[in-house]
Amino acid sequence: MTALLQFVDVSFSYEQHAIFADVNFCVEQGECGALIGPNGIGKTTLLRLAAGVLPCSHGSVSLAERRLDTLRRAEAARLVALVPQRFEVPFDFTVQQIVEQGRTPYLGFFTGLKRHDRRAVERALELTDVIYLRNRIFNELSGGERQRVKIALGLAQEPRLLLLDEPTQSLDLGRQLELLDCLRALNDEGVTILAAMHDLQLIPGTFSSVLLLEPDHEVRKGRPQDVLRPDVLERAFDCPPRRHPQLVDEKLAGENPAWLEKTS
Amino acid sequence: METEIAEKIGSRSSARADRGIRFSDRAFLMLILLALLGALAVVLVLSMGMGATRIGVREVLGCLLNGHRSGDTNSVILFEIRLPRVLASAFVGAALSVAGLLFQGLFRNPMADPYVIGSSGGAALGAGIGLFLLPRFSFLGFGATAAMGFVGSVATIALVYWLARIGGRVPVVTLLLAGFAVSTMLSYSTYFLVVLDDNFGLRTRVLASWLTGVIAVPRWSQLAVTAVMIAFGLICCLPLARRLNTLALGDEYARQVGVQVEKTHLAIILAGSLITAAAVSLGGVISFVGLIVPHMARLVLGPDHTRLLPVTAVAGSIFLVLGDTLARTVLAPSEIPVGLLTAFIGGPFFLYLLRRTRREYAL
Repeated sequence: MTALLQFVDVSFSYEQHAIFADVNFCVEQGECGALIGPNGIGKTTLLRLAAGVLPCSHGSVSLAERRLDTLRRAEAARLVALVPQRFEVPFDFTVQQIVEQGRTPYLGFFTGLKRHDRRAVERALELTDVIYLRNRIFNELSGGERQRVKIALGLAQEPRLLLLDEPTQSLDLGRQLELLDCLRALNDEGVTILAAMHDLQLIPGTFSSVLLLEPDHEVRKGRPQDVLRPDVLERAFDCPPRRHPQLVDEKLAGENPAWLEKTS
Repeated sequence: METEIAEKIGSRSSARADRGIRFSDRAFLMLILLALLGALAVVLVLSMGMGATRIGVREVLGCLLNGHRSGDTNSVILFEIRLPRVLASAFVGAALSVAGLLFQGLFRNPMADPYVIGSSGGAALGAGIGLFLLPRFSFLGFGATAAMGFVGSVATIALVYWLARIGGRVPVVTLLLAGFAVSTMLSYSTYFLVVLDDNFGLRTRVLASWLTGVIAVPRWSQLAVTAVMIAFGLICCLPLARRLNTLALGDEYARQVGVQVEKTHLAIILAGSLITAAAVSLGGVISFVGLIVPHMARLVLGPDHTRLLPVTAVAGSIFLVLGDTLARTVLAPSEIPVGLLTAFIGGPFFLYLLRRTRREYAL
């Protein structure tokens, strides 16, 4: 096991507003990691630092033992792909045309797609099970289909590490499970994954590790059963998860739940 | 093992894609391009025959093959009036259409057009300043009008781009409002130049025709200069076309896969301004061509800019040669400005597009 992604004493600030200070963690080759943490803690920022889209203020982010800030953008994009949360396409591009854009880091200024590029696109479409959608227009797809196409776009970069920003967001339960199947299949194929996840229930069974971004900006990393524990989550999310069963009980009993009284 | 099998499946299906879909796609594009080039040739010859003096197709072809003979009236008409004008409208049409395509890609918005976003207006003001204040300036054969037109266009697009962008996106509303405000200010500033003209002379008339969009009969030297500008601009567009496809997926994404977004935007602005300035120096402010032609091409070919670029250039030429021929024959012997014609056709079309994208109004 070697560290594929390594954060060493990483600090980052947006316009003098510190978001992280001295973050340390690593993601190993072949891992399927879930990045969790309360809203606004900087999960997206952390992913963008890991993708090298944002430069860190201090410390270093390394990918496959090479510092990201020493790599050219196109070189970094061959090692790591970030599947963004927001992705809008103004024109009616087909799925195939969109996924082909993932080959950009491999292309020269004047050259078009070569045989190897087409094969990579084909493989990306196949791994995410969207081959049948290739000639459809992206903007006309459903949410679940779009999400898979976005992942195919990332895979077309043939990255060693695939970063996903809340891939299950705004999908229905069936589509969420489909997407998790897709991630598991990718991981079985040897793709290392780090995904920011909102829905903690979806983590066990798919992800091999959980990285919890705590309010004091420590990253606590462990197996799902070690991190997804009431006492850990209570502190990190500033909410008492132990009250949950009780809350459900109260709802079922038809009484005014505690949270309703509190807000009124 | 699994990977191996998957790779086999992958390579087999990609081989199919290579031979089948890819080839027919390219063949389709070639077919369309050839058809359009043929149509352009036909339109050019027919258009040269039309006007106050009708000249038959056979005679037009004969004159073109034999070259310019100064004794023959028809030859003089063809070589000194019709041919320069028809070529000028072909250049202007190609330039405005490609500029429209570039700006639509830059703003990620199908409503952008050199007229709508004020780039034509900027070029007209720049050219006007050149005409009034620096009439004797010349650099490598480029007069002050062309050079200042370029400067005006670059400055305007940079301004509108800066005004209309909100968080990396250019919504329809801000684009149209910024473009409207800037181009209104520009056209009134251009009228202000009239005040500087002491005896309401030639320059004012040139200015007035610029602002309505009239393709005048250019001198051959002028035609050559603009042809060089447009050709250079189009060559610069070739590598930009694929970048436009990547940029369509968002600045953030493009940056992630290694596109140097700001530099590419600048290159698009410069190339688009160069060809807009060339078009404006020949035909003034002609509206909506850059909106209609790329849109039509997109309906047939889809949004891939590498395919749209050549098709848009040729289709734009055909469109404006036809438009200008109509403009100078429909009310013969008097002429209507071709800008007026494109405004009549393009205005409703613009409104139709706007209505179709109305869901984007909300900011």
